[in-house]
Amino acid sequence: MFPTRALCARSVWKGPNIVPLPIVRPKPGERVPPIKTQARSATILPNFVGLKFQIHNGKTYHDITITEDMVGHKLGEFAPTRKNFVYKQTKNR
Amino acid sequence: MVFIFGFNFPEQTLVKKSLQTFYGIGPQVCQRIMARFHIHKTAKVGGLKNAQVLDLNAELSQMKIENDLRREVQDNIRRLRDMGTYRGRRHAMALPVRGQRTRTQTATSRKLNKIERGGSGQIKL
Repeated sequence: MFPTRALCARSVWKGPNIVPLPIVRPKPGERVPPIKTQARSATILPNFVGLKFQIHNGKTYHDITITEDMVGHKLGEFAPTRKNFVYKQTKNR
Repeated sequence: MVFIFGFNFPEQTLVKKSLQTFYGIGPQVCQRIMARFHIHKTAKVGGLKNAQVLDLNAELSQMKIENDLRREVQDNIRRLRDMGTYRGRRHAMALPVRGQRTRTQTATSRKLNKIERGGSGQIKL
């Protein structure tokens, strides 16, 4: 109904936000260490599928395995940055 | 009583009102449908010709409304949730999804944001 809505986010001529990440092609029978990155705004490309990432959330790194559904989203969407509020009872008083 | 898309409507209800009771049909879509079948905006359900009712039924059965549409919306939300995105999380927690404030006034999101969205709608008469 609103064909322009999808285009509102980012200009088409820029293309997806491609960040140079140290991606190694895994050889069979060889374990690849997860890719540690702070580039939360990097778009997930189809060639990321199956790779493991460690995405920074401002404090720690979250382990995420990329699946096919995630293509087109950003890396940062999968590493929550906020902590839930928990009430702590004070000892004195 | 007139049957439109499997639901009964009393003869004195407006066509506009009766169409808008369906999930997925609002003022805009309703206006477009009525214009296509040459129905006046003040027309009542009782005043429709038989052919017009059949046309409406055929049109509505082709559109994605009611349960099909609900399922689509719910699937979209569930997909976000299963992937573990921020948006899916916020839906599950019934909090605002698009960065609105949460200090006060989150009534709408508490009402609407859930995995099973759009549960209520047309009630069978």
